[in-house]
Amino acid sequence: MKWLRDILDKIAPTFKADGKLEKLYPIFEATDTILFSTDERTHSGPHIRDSVDIKRVMILVVIALIPCYIFGAMNVGYQMAMALGQSSTMLENLLNGAMKILPIIAVAFASGAFWELLFAVVRRHPVSEGFLVTCALIPLVMPPTIPLWQVAVATTFGIVIGKEIFGGVGMNIFNPALVARAFLFFTYPGRISGDKVWVSGPDGYSGATALAVPAAELSQDAVTLLDSVTQFDFSWINLFMGWIPGSIGETSTLWIMVGAAFLALTGIASWRVMVGAILGLIGMAALTNFMAEITGSTNTMLTLPAHYHLVMGGFAFGVAFMATEPVTGAHTDKGRWIYGIFIGGLTVIIRSINPAYPEGAMLAILLMNAFASLIDYFVVQVNIKRRMVRYAQ
Amino acid sequence: MNHIIIRKGHDIRIAGVPSQEVTSVPSSETVAISPKTFRGVKPKLLVNEGDTVQIGSPLFFDKTKPNVNWASPANGTVKTIQFGARRIIEKIEIKVDGFDSIQGQVFTSEQLTSSNRTTILNRILEANLFPFIRQRPFNKVANPKDSPRDIFISALNTAPLSVDLGPVIESEKAAFQAGVTVLSKLTDGSVVVTSKKAMELQHAEVQTISGPHPAGNVGIQIHHSKSIKPGEIIWSVNAQHVITLGKLFLNGSYSPDILVTIAGPGATNPQTVSAKVGASIGSLIVNQDIIEPIRLISGNVLTGQTVEVDNFLGFYDSSVSIVLDSVDRPFMGMLAVGNSKSKYSLTNTFLTFGEKLFNFNTAQNGELRAIVPINSWENVLPMDVYPNALYRAILAQDIEEMEQLGIWECDDEDFALCSFSCPSKIDVGKVIRDGLNMLEAEG
Repeated sequence: MKWLRDILDKIAPTFKADGKLEKLYPIFEATDTILFSTDERTHSGPHIRDSVDIKRVMILVVIALIPCYIFGAMNVGYQMAMALGQSSTMLENLLNGAMKILPIIAVAFASGAFWELLFAVVRRHPVSEGFLVTCALIPLVMPPTIPLWQVAVATTFGIVIGKEIFGGVGMNIFNPALVARAFLFFTYPGRISGDKVWVSGPDGYSGATALAVPAAELSQDAVTLLDSVTQFDFSWINLFMGWIPGSIGETSTLWIMVGAAFLALTGIASWRVMVGAILGLIGMAALTNFMAEITGSTNTMLTLPAHYHLVMGGFAFGVAFMATEPVTGAHTDKGRWIYGIFIGGLTVIIRSINPAYPEGAMLAILLMNAFASLIDYFVVQVNIKRRMVRYAQ
Repeated sequence: MNHIIIRKGHDIRIAGVPSQEVTSVPSSETVAISPKTFRGVKPKLLVNEGDTVQIGSPLFFDKTKPNVNWASPANGTVKTIQFGARRIIEKIEIKVDGFDSIQGQVFTSEQLTSSNRTTILNRILEANLFPFIRQRPFNKVANPKDSPRDIFISALNTAPLSVDLGPVIESEKAAFQAGVTVLSKLTDGSVVVTSKKAMELQHAEVQTISGPHPAGNVGIQIHHSKSIKPGEIIWSVNAQHVITLGKLFLNGSYSPDILVTIAGPGATNPQTVSAKVGASIGSLIVNQDIIEPIRLISGNVLTGQTVEVDNFLGFYDSSVSIVLDSVDRPFMGMLAVGNSKSKYSLTNTFLTFGEKLFNFNTAQNGELRAIVPINSWENVLPMDVYPNALYRAILAQDIEEMEQLGIWECDDEDFALCSFSCPSKIDVGKVIRDGLNMLEAEG
């Protein structure tokens, strides 16, 4: 790779101060340091530094998403074949699915990179690697039938409004990928609201999502209803494995768990948030089940047991990859527990009690993003109170 | 006996671990003290170039505390006094002509035990060795007028590549005990000695501590035994300097001996050498084959200062670290699996399991970024302090909030590991120091 290094070294002066393309320095710098690790050295303080940097952190999140991408492609192909009534091999499914999702990925990355680079040049800040994660997440929370222009618009909104207007990665309040999805969710609800399934297949092909099935009926048992669906296999094990229609990356709880375990082991994602969210969801589901029994409510969603909540909709994906985003979540360990528990609980509440949106995970996470710093504030206040008591002694 | 268990922190697996066997190196031809390195001190010279000085005779004093003088570490003549910008005194260099000292007053251990504070304090001030005593907060030279709540001595080093203090104290037990007795006269509280293993000491409270760096930092030990409050002052003395103080009273003279580790990935012969306070770096590294490019550091790799061969060992330092100063640029380095000799991380983002030691270089390993809080600071800071919140309060220059968040208990050396492990490459320690400076300026 010496030839590439030589080329970069040769063109470097063009981009440095007083060079012809000085304004484009952030773009050159980003290319240079993505291809070759930076040669920046310490000046004082700790003379040696840990090898991990933000590039590494972000690229590992992207790597953790790869299982979801591969499974997502296979599932899209599989659902397509099912809808057309054809039989197909796994490889065919993968290839057919990949043909569907690659354009979505390409559009997300192209529009994301465009805005990130534009802001870097205009606002003279270094290109932040965080956009790689945002752009990798956005296709996974889109249905395969999404029009490409909507992907571009959503990515633009997510990067610009969700992140750049706050000052870039590290300063944003809301998870940019979720902002992108929420934008589509509210502006083009017909395409993405979560009650109808999205399968790349014959025109007009549709059905109810797993979450919409119990939400649509009154006074029934949710599990019996799900088992009675014939169009798709909504048994628990199939919901867990993920061979159901849905957004590209969110269906398979199994592969999401693989990615989540990787992130938790590397220390990038907080296991406290994940465990907290699962506990919150189980607790709240147990409560709704109990309430359904004692109040005799006609709301079928209240009878949905916790283990179904875990594998349905975008909860698993949201908790593994969105709620654990370090910047927009709580910053203290105690705060992370509270933050996670609330996300889990709110997901069940929104799913069960809100009739308009069958999917609650996205809204729960965005809501808690807004409250994360408040949670931290209280955690820190407890610390301060304790210290003040000690000082007063 | 109190036992402290430190769970957060990290022992960096850096190569070039020094052998603890003491090697002697030829004495340094010149020794020097650098007045500008003492925090908050306004130095005023007591010698001129060409003057003859005796070991222990005063070189300069602090205008803010006129009875605190700095002792000459050797007999000889003042070779140069180097001034920097705005006549800051960079260094006072002395051409060495031996270390024989004039005998002063000798104390037996019984005399020491029965002495009062004034006698002891005056003797230390007279011998010009008071600067060995530092105070918390602010980690600066203490003021003899203060009456410290307690005096803390760390009898273990956990900083990377540092001198193993256990055997040092063991071999100088009598002098160490005398030093402890001396210090116990200076406080109404107690002298707290924190060590790895239990030890028998009189006139002191001994407590043990276990865990990774920064367990050996006195700031962490204070925090975990009896945390400092605003307005309180605690003194601390390096264990090797306690021995020096002990010898001053037992032998009646200043013996500027100190053990220094010469270590790090750039050291070809990592060792512990016996040297003198203020020795030249060149004289300490005579046994090393220096293969450029390397960086010489007086002190440890986390908190030390960059020096050149013709510079001198820092006043409080007891190690010279040598790290490689060349940084390569691997293609697609961010995708590296790890397990090479250069990719080291205390997150699990690289495969760095096992006991292998790593050849650290001066690479920053990334560019400065906004904070992405993945607990990299919290995991290495064994204090009941929220570093992220404190950091922001300092940037906002909100002194009241800084105090509420516990800045009185903090010192930048305790935050050095945070800077080491930060993925955003933020120098947390420097910001903590800025905060302390603000606090001190506020008065």
